[in-house]
Amino acid sequence: MSHRALISAGSLFALPALAGLLIFVAIPFLLAIGLSFTNLRLGSPLPLEFVGLTQFVRLFADDAFTRALWNNLLFTSVVVPVQTLLALGLALLLNQPLKGRALFRTLFFMPVVFPLALVSVVWILIYAPGPDGMLNSFLQLITLGHWQPRDFLHDPWLALPAIMLTSIWQGAGFQMVILLAGLQGIPEELYEAARIDGAGRWQRFWFITLPQLRNTLIFVMLVTTILAFRLFEQVQIMTRGGPRHATTTIMYEAVQAAFSRQQVAKGAAITVIFFLVVLLVTLLQRRVARQERL
Amino acid sequence: MLSMSPSGPGGVDRPAPASASDGHGLGYVVYPAMRIFLVSLAFAFLAACDRTERPQPEAGAVQLSVWSHAGQAGERRTIERQLQVFNQQQDRIQISLTFIPERSYNAQVQAAAIAGALPDLLEFDVPYLYNYAWQGHLRPLETLLPGTLQEDLLPSIIKQGTYQGHLYGVGTFDSGLAIYARRSLLQKVHARIPVHPKQAWSVQEFEQLLDRLAAEDDDGAVLDLKLNNPDEWFSYAFSPVLQSAGGDLIDRSNYQRASGVLNGAASVRAMQHVQRWLTTGKVDPNLDDAAFVTGRVALSWAGHWEYRRYHAAFGDDLILVPLPDFGTGSRTGQGSWVWGISRHSDVPDKAAEVIAYLLQPEQILAITEANGAVPATHTAIGQSPLYQPGGPLHLFVVQLTEGYAVPRPRTPAYPVISASFRQAFADIRNGMPVQQALDRAAAAIDEDIRNNHGYPPIEAR
Amino acid sequence: MTWHRLLTVGMSYAALLLLAVLFVSPILLMVVGSLKPEARVLVEAGSLKAFLPGEWDLRNYRDVFARVAFGRYLFNSLFITGMVVLAGVVVNSLAGYAFARLAWRGRKLLFALVLAILILPLEAIAVPLFYQVTLFGWRDTYLVQIVPFVANAFSIYLFYTFFLGLPRELEEAARLDGAGMLRTFLIIIVPNSKPVFATVAILNFLMQWGVFLWPLMVTSGEAVRPLPLAIATFYTLPPLQWGDIFAFGVMMVLPILLVFLFFQRWFIRGVVATGLKG
Repeated sequence: MSHRALISAGSLFALPALAGLLIFVAIPFLLAIGLSFTNLRLGSPLPLEFVGLTQFVRLFADDAFTRALWNNLLFTSVVVPVQTLLALGLALLLNQPLKGRALFRTLFFMPVVFPLALVSVVWILIYAPGPDGMLNSFLQLITLGHWQPRDFLHDPWLALPAIMLTSIWQGAGFQMVILLAGLQGIPEELYEAARIDGAGRWQRFWFITLPQLRNTLIFVMLVTTILAFRLFEQVQIMTRGGPRHATTTIMYEAVQAAFSRQQVAKGAAITVIFFLVVLLVTLLQRRVARQERL
Repeated sequence: MLSMSPSGPGGVDRPAPASASDGHGLGYVVYPAMRIFLVSLAFAFLAACDRTERPQPEAGAVQLSVWSHAGQAGERRTIERQLQVFNQQQDRIQISLTFIPERSYNAQVQAAAIAGALPDLLEFDVPYLYNYAWQGHLRPLETLLPGTLQEDLLPSIIKQGTYQGHLYGVGTFDSGLAIYARRSLLQKVHARIPVHPKQAWSVQEFEQLLDRLAAEDDDGAVLDLKLNNPDEWFSYAFSPVLQSAGGDLIDRSNYQRASGVLNGAASVRAMQHVQRWLTTGKVDPNLDDAAFVTGRVALSWAGHWEYRRYHAAFGDDLILVPLPDFGTGSRTGQGSWVWGISRHSDVPDKAAEVIAYLLQPEQILAITEANGAVPATHTAIGQSPLYQPGGPLHLFVVQLTEGYAVPRPRTPAYPVISASFRQAFADIRNGMPVQQALDRAAAAIDEDIRNNHGYPPIEAR
Repeated sequence: MTWHRLLTVGMSYAALLLLAVLFVSPILLMVVGSLKPEARVLVEAGSLKAFLPGEWDLRNYRDVFARVAFGRYLFNSLFITGMVVLAGVVVNSLAGYAFARLAWRGRKLLFALVLAILILPLEAIAVPLFYQVTLFGWRDTYLVQIVPFVANAFSIYLFYTFFLGLPRELEEAARLDGAGMLRTFLIIIVPNSKPVFATVAILNFLMQWGVFLWPLMVTSGEAVRPLPLAIATFYTLPPLQWGDIFAFGVMMVLPILLVFLFFQRWFIRGVVATGLKG
């Protein structure tokens, strides 16, 4: 086979995928950057103007957007640790030779399979206000009647936590499975050696399990972090950004701007900021993971 | 990257080298999956066939695409039936109807307009007409519709559909907004029952009534403001409160400024009353949309479209009361969904035929039967048992014809006005100081008008 | 020692049971609620009765079909997801192989680009892509929901890493037999790569089944609307009936749930594969 044939075969093989990525990922991405410097509004008969950084300046003066940034940050800083801890706990529980653990694993993973849109709709009812609401009555039960029924999704303090809970419920199984695989990959000899040395349960966990799991943990947290910044479905369906921007997110603001209000340039600017945030987080993770490679 | 072990737990296995002639490896997983997939596809396809009837276009028939909003079930079914009958009665025009969810209706219209995918005939909420017309999406109708028909229309219908001197949208009905109440409950607290808008309760009287009703009620929530309704409701239902107090959403002399008007003293006062009702627990959140029909509340601030349901629940005990007077007289909303023809339709005359059909008295009465709205023509009103003088909903006609109904601002800036006021309402509901909420809304509106250079009239194309 | 062991096992089971109940209750609420007459759904949601159907019937399911074209939505989801997965597997595996095994001009640079795209989630390009497709009049079709998702950097990467790990002897043997590039790929590589094909197919199926943002922006009517968007619009369609919504939800999740239950092993592997990538 000639060298030239080898070359063209390679590019031909890769061509469809690369063309797709070019047209549907690379170009839109560049377009977003370009559009963010204009004042483009879908359908406006006024001429398009180049406005430099005005969109970005306006964004940071926009209450809704700054709140969205804050909400995403808050959401991430709660959901990532809590969900990871929960997933780790589940994985540790399931890492034992218990009977029926496959069933449990299936049960915990099932919510992951549910489309987020469906999860959001179902949880609207769970958060129903009044004593008939499922969560309200559950909380009344475990607080022995001290809980006052709340309208979670319309309460400025409880709305975002409500969405956090929904997300944790849906996502924990995903992390659990990865962590479980990571746990199962830790060589038994390490534990044996530690046991012989007299290390207790907690010490084995702290000095063997965690370090061995380190990169998996970091990865799992990265994925969840990026997913957290993408938060959209729950907000669109359950709270529409309210009450009073308490649950608005970067993506929700972007879609509101571009799709609901036809302010495409503003939406593009938000998209650019979103990308920068994701980039930053990814780079941070790579940094942290690279340190002390065991 | 963790290394891949040959048989790692859950790892992606590296298989043992197979010979070149080993061909059944992939089938192991794919074929069962494919089978299940194909079978489900087949089932789904069969199921899909039973619901959607795609009309087979007859040879020579013109295809007409139509959009309508997915509102109340009765309304939807009526439109569907009306257009089906139209299809059956003649064979020159074949209508294909699509229902668009109400919540994202405006976004869908805007996106479709840019994509050149607007239907020939589309329904839309009238306040958006000015924006659509300004953007050049609509075709003027005054030359397409018969003159006699236009003369029979209520003046409010013509006025709401006109922008820059052209008629861009015609509604088959107008809306009515009032307070639904139950005579028995009002009599129990010895309330005065106003019949004509000039007799409306003053806002103080109204608040006293709320207190008296709350005393008799389990949870103290006696008023339903339909807080669960989708977005456009808030501007429609509560801007009359501003106008009744002497304020407004925007300065209507030239539609260039909301500051000073939306956040002026009168508007602020009006919304402070509303805020008081909300924060003192007088208002039911109405998440199940059934606060009034299940008897949880005594009063429902609602539109004509609730009449059917309410009447079914309470019969003759149901009465209609004008909205309270906040200072300059009772005011109420008006304007509803209208039909328009998209500029790029190649069959505007056919589309106009459909509009004319929908404006026939029988058709108007059919839709107003279903949604309880006010018929758009004098002829139809005269024939309507609900809206004739003496009919249970005649109050709506009075409000529309005697000047108590105020149209929403007829400006391309309306979408932003609506969104800003809606946001302000949500903030007010959550306890933000009214002045602050309205200041923000006015600022947002003014900024939008500035960004659009004051929405200069574009030459009609 | 055994007493201690028993205690640990006992506590583990207790914890697992408790957590399992918490995780499963929303699902149970949905399934049981779908079988109840409308009047009881809301009222009983706050008590244990939420999980007990009592006398149950299928009228909510019938109602869903009477109110909306559920079959259509199901078909749309199956078709769109199926097409994305099938086309994606073909296109991305070819690209992954090209990067892993073939030498061609620009390979290194383009692969770096692919890696860069890896961190771009859909949301980063949804808005400009929405603008693009709207401008070109490409709305409300199956294609607009399929084509943008076929080429997938992550799938390419998964294929790439897997093909890298295949022993070179396979291809060399084929080449000695005189097989061309495509033949080698189809006859040798593919049959020996069933794990990665399964992984990619299942991951993509899972991801694509749930897309909501994109159809929200680019579809209008019911004709090509997929299930996730359909249930969200169904929820806003008057009158609000939770029994119907739950029935819709059950029917909507059944296909993917079945796929999951049957192919659990592959699902888990697929998910873990994303973890190994880190």
